[in-house]
Amino acid sequence: MTAILDALLLIADPYVILLICLSSAFGLFVGAMPGLTATMATALLVPITFFMPPLPAMAVIVTTSCMAIFAGDIPGALLRIPGTPASAAYTNEAYAMTVKGQSGMALGAGVIFSAIGGIFGTAVLATAAPLLAEVAIKFSSFEYFWLVCLGLTCAVFIALDDPVKGMIALFIGLSVALIGLENPAGLPRFTFGVIDLMSGIDMIPAMVGMFAIAEVLRIVAAATTRLPPARTVSGSIFKGQWAIARKYPLQILRGSTIGTLIGALPGAGADIASWITYATAKKFSKEPEKFGTGHVEGIVESGAANNAAVSGAWIPALVFGIPGDSITAIVIGVLYLKNIIPGPMVFTNQPTIVSGIFALFFLANLIMIPFGWLAIKSARNILSVPREILMPIVLLFCIVGAFAVTNSPFAIGVMLAFGLIGFLMEEHGFPVAPVILGIILGPMLEQNFVTSMIKSDGSFFGFFNRPIAAGLGVVTLAVWGAMLWRGLRAVRMPQTAS
Amino acid sequence: MKFHDSVCGIALFALAGFIFAYALTIPPMPGQQYGADVFPRLVSIGLGAFSLMLVWRGWKQSPRGTPWVAIAPWIRDPHTRGNFLLAFVLTIAYVLLDDIVGFIPLGIAILMVLFVRQGVAWRKGAIIAVATVVVTQVAFGNFLRVPLPRGVLTGFW
Repeated sequence: MTAILDALLLIADPYVILLICLSSAFGLFVGAMPGLTATMATALLVPITFFMPPLPAMAVIVTTSCMAIFAGDIPGALLRIPGTPASAAYTNEAYAMTVKGQSGMALGAGVIFSAIGGIFGTAVLATAAPLLAEVAIKFSSFEYFWLVCLGLTCAVFIALDDPVKGMIALFIGLSVALIGLENPAGLPRFTFGVIDLMSGIDMIPAMVGMFAIAEVLRIVAAATTRLPPARTVSGSIFKGQWAIARKYPLQILRGSTIGTLIGALPGAGADIASWITYATAKKFSKEPEKFGTGHVEGIVESGAANNAAVSGAWIPALVFGIPGDSITAIVIGVLYLKNIIPGPMVFTNQPTIVSGIFALFFLANLIMIPFGWLAIKSARNILSVPREILMPIVLLFCIVGAFAVTNSPFAIGVMLAFGLIGFLMEEHGFPVAPVILGIILGPMLEQNFVTSMIKSDGSFFGFFNRPIAAGLGVVTLAVWGAMLWRGLRAVRMPQTAS
Repeated sequence: MKFHDSVCGIALFALAGFIFAYALTIPPMPGQQYGADVFPRLVSIGLGAFSLMLVWRGWKQSPRGTPWVAIAPWIRDPHTRGNFLLAFVLTIAYVLLDDIVGFIPLGIAILMVLFVRQGVAWRKGAIIAVATVVVTQVAFGNFLRVPLPRGVLTGFW
């Protein structure tokens, strides 16, 4: 109880309130700009959070990510271009409503049911995370080894169309994690005599490179950086929303529940939640024929799901230190920088931070409604910001941000290298998120593997001796088996196009 | 530029081979069976295995006549190719010249070049470039105390 009061007092600080307001505006702006994602917004903020105390840093990240996921709906409805991948599932539906003169209703449903989904996800996070932490506190290196394996595998298996390329991306990330002195013997590995590589590849420049520089390169390499003119918002965004909520309570509940669960699966974030719940909304709808013609039902369920997934993704991140999505991958990096080690002990050692994060999620989802209303009202102005001006500024900001972390130009080189790698990977159909997961979880995987092997005298049976470890091991092996089966089946049934 | 999946697979397999070979040179941990060499070996084996799967899949599944290297439209177009190279080269220039020239002049120059290249009017570009760099200098250099290099402006403030 004291921790909750302390957290509330910290959040009530005018400095934190100001940060929340500024990051709300930033998140809404980035989310509403097509091509700029919520992950990119978070990555861009990391160099700034580096200079903040832990709770204000979390306030900035939580608020920005919640706002950006909702704001992706705005260009979806007004331009037919999703602002973030999380809005892609229902972009056509929202645009069809705009064409019918119902853009206010579409965007209103987006903001209100996003807030409801986000609050539901936060309630689950605040309830489930401490309970899971009580179980996780008994975990040893064996359980953690399987958990990391499961997390890394799920990230590839669930989230992606092409598990082979996903696995390769993951191994690239694990290869990057090999660099430096952080290994069981403390020996320099893959450093080639370069002093800057002794401490390994810094996560922040790597993340800024992969999520921001790669995006900048993609946009400057596009044939046109200009967006088409946006349609105007017609009607009040709040009118009729109560009637929609009364008509679709089951859809709101289902979207929020599925969204939270998908968010909690390592690697599967808001975009997957949105696609799956749009499909479930259509499947269980009494009016499936109306989907695609400007029907609000899918927006209600998917809108609730994608914001529920944002808070759901924090469950494995806080309890096990395993990111639920690419945003929480960044969050884990930030927590490490603040000397807060995510895991079950964080609930005992840093209760104020944990309670603060829960409170921040509630607050961010509540203020999403007034801030979202303002963003929708100024949508045409936001969407008229020229990207030919924005992209060079983002590039300069990335350069300064990468430099700020280590005060060394080497970090800028790392950022650029990872930006190029990220760009080339996406050009070739390789996902980038598993690379970051590999970089973050690589040292944890190695440490738990080597420790477990030493404990069990080199016997693999040691990994199945404890009941929870055995259970996790069996599940992990089953997922690997399913993956192998899927891979073999894909090879047997050739695709028509590569 | 888009390489055929099999070509990507071969390059990644070569990377896996390099990691494995390097891991063989890592000395074992004294008195322990599992040291700093174990994990790199496992990672290289995993990377190698999936790279081979990519090679095989690319070879089996790609339609006949799929080129080993396809030139992406943005590379064919001199304008988009120039945009890409410029962003890349200017960042490298920053790394090489920041200590000598300093953040403020270099930042303004980078923004101006990119703005003009993207078709922003000179005067508008100059105003935005100067404003952006000054705000960044104040925010990072003064408030957050990041030692942004002053270069030619050393001693001016």
